[in-house]
Amino acid sequence: MASAHGDGAGGGAAGRWTARLLPWAVGLFAGVLALGPALGPGYVLRYDMVFVPDLSLGTVLRGADGFPRAIPSDAVVAVLSSVLPGDVVQSLALLAVFAVGGAGAARLVPRAWYRRGPAGGPHTGAVGGQLASAAAGLAYVWNPFVAERLLLGQWAVLLGYAGLPWVVGAAARLAAARPVAGFAGLVRALVPAAVGGFSSVVLTALTAGPVALGADGAREVRTGAGEAVRGGRWWVRAGLFALALAAVSLPWLLPSLSSGADTDPAGAEAFAARSDTPFGVVGSLLLLGGVWNSGAVPAGYGEPVAASVRLVLCLVALSGWVWWLCRNRPGFGTGLSAAALMGFALALLGATGPGRELLAWLIALWPGFGPLRDGQLYVAPLALVQALGLGAFVRWLTGGRAPRGAGTGVLWRVGVAVFAVLLPVVVLPGLLWGAGERLVPVRYPGEWRAAQAAVAADDRPGAVLVLPWNAYRGPDWSGRPVVVLDPATKLFDRRTLWNDDLVVGTPGGGSVVVAGEDARADRVARVLEPDPRTGMPERLDAGALGALGVRHVVVSAPVDNQFWSESEGLAVVVEGPDMVLLRVPEQHVRPDKAVIPGLEVTGGLVTVGAIIWSMARSGSSLVFQRFGPSAGPGARKEIPK
Amino acid sequence: MIKVIAACVIGAALAGGATFVATSLATDSTATAEPVNETLYNYGDR
Repeated sequence: MASAHGDGAGGGAAGRWTARLLPWAVGLFAGVLALGPALGPGYVLRYDMVFVPDLSLGTVLRGADGFPRAIPSDAVVAVLSSVLPGDVVQSLALLAVFAVGGAGAARLVPRAWYRRGPAGGPHTGAVGGQLASAAAGLAYVWNPFVAERLLLGQWAVLLGYAGLPWVVGAAARLAAARPVAGFAGLVRALVPAAVGGFSSVVLTALTAGPVALGADGAREVRTGAGEAVRGGRWWVRAGLFALALAAVSLPWLLPSLSSGADTDPAGAEAFAARSDTPFGVVGSLLLLGGVWNSGAVPAGYGEPVAASVRLVLCLVALSGWVWWLCRNRPGFGTGLSAAALMGFALALLGATGPGRELLAWLIALWPGFGPLRDGQLYVAPLALVQALGLGAFVRWLTGGRAPRGAGTGVLWRVGVAVFAVLLPVVVLPGLLWGAGERLVPVRYPGEWRAAQAAVAADDRPGAVLVLPWNAYRGPDWSGRPVVVLDPATKLFDRRTLWNDDLVVGTPGGGSVVVAGEDARADRVARVLEPDPRTGMPERLDAGALGALGVRHVVVSAPVDNQFWSESEGLAVVVEGPDMVLLRVPEQHVRPDKAVIPGLEVTGGLVTVGAIIWSMARSGSSLVFQRFGPSAGPGARKEIPK
Repeated sequence: MIKVIAACVIGAALAGGATFVATSLATDSTATAEPVNETLYNYGDR
């Protein structure tokens, strides 16, 4: 008879397979439930989430001036799109967020329990341990943070978020592994953050840095030759962690350092955390919400009843975390707690007047502080704490101190525990099925594909100018308008010039404009002088456009003023309701030299090389990386290489 | 084992029912509107 708490050694091979597969099953289950229709054929477009057919790697690498925010996430998508349809790549990317994140959090639970050995924690094949893992996995990928970032279209950030539990596990292992083995494990775990890019790596540094520093280095492990290995000192672990972060950051770090671009301090006000529940900014952030954009809040989330239940769930989860820390003292516990506190403080910084001023001053001082402007991002470590805390609570429910057997009391606890496992879904139904069908796939209209093909077929050099002079569009291809970064900025296989200023509406009806970083786009704006109400210039002059290096002009929205019919020298190549492609005669065009920055390529090759080395060294990948020792504490064998 | 599975099924069924109710309430109480300008769209509205 199975026991709910399962301290015994039962389970055998079936139990081991269940323990191995359950975390991935939880993540996939959550992913399918959350994405639903978004996994169907077509492209899901929303805010920053723009996938296009046949994304060109050259376009991504040539990109735009300023910070390479789409590197390397778009580069990875472009490479995958060369072997898979773009919409399939998008579905896999979105599903990976849930599968990798859910599995990572679920697998951290048995790792921490193992610290006290089988006598002090559950056997992973037992019902109690499985429910605890499932609770942690589901809570980590089903919370307001994930919902709001998904509705904001920040899939690359979410990919980095999904990798956090893996990096935390790898950082904790630095204390009990040979330096090279620990470093390789860390690089493997950093793959999702590496793909995610800038914000993902910053988030990872915040979350796992304190873990690497604070991990318990007193443990010894035995090598295959019987040699005792003590974990590295704190400065060795810090050095390895920094080196691993640098290794996976090169594709965007090198171009960023040499770009000379500035970040507008106005972003500190525009992207500060805001209240999206009745509990104010502090309460909203504690509940893992508080994203700056009111359009990215799941349906029904801010309602008092739902928010109150969610608050209770958060408090229960935090209580579970404290109980776990006191009972088991997981190696990453202190570091992760510190990371959650620091992240919460960072998130709150922009919510106060002096905090915003400090942030603006820091960003003006050095653009590298720019990522701090989006404060809500930094509640991610708290999300992991709450997920693991809910796992601990479920573990407690299933009878951490209960007598053996499957009596009525134990069955009650199992039933309640299953309910608790699913509670994150109950209190956040707005994420269900494509976030209430706000994430639905669409097909690009025929004229968009025709324009893409026409530009690709043109062998004359020159950039594509995207009009109206505004970054965001509201295509209604799914039947209702969806705000999205203009897909035309990524559709063509050459440099595009578009307005990268960000306009954020304020509650009073005003707006904050965060200036873009593309210096060439700034020059274009000065020449065209577009009408701020329509984003359209009064006229287009072929000579002026050619002098800017523009070969094609794209009008990617329905406009009333079809001025191009009166423009001399511009040929209409494609014309449709929300896509017009105009061509500038080549004699006018003075194209800039289109070069792929060597720094990005070199950095990318080094990063790819480091990842391949880390995987080849262990013969494994992120998927098969094991967190926990196989036979209790102090008995894990490190394979000397 | 059968009793444990039955307990799991009951817990899951209760959660499913509660989710259904919560979904209905969320749908009824919230009308989500995209931030729309006349011709141009903001990145978002606070």
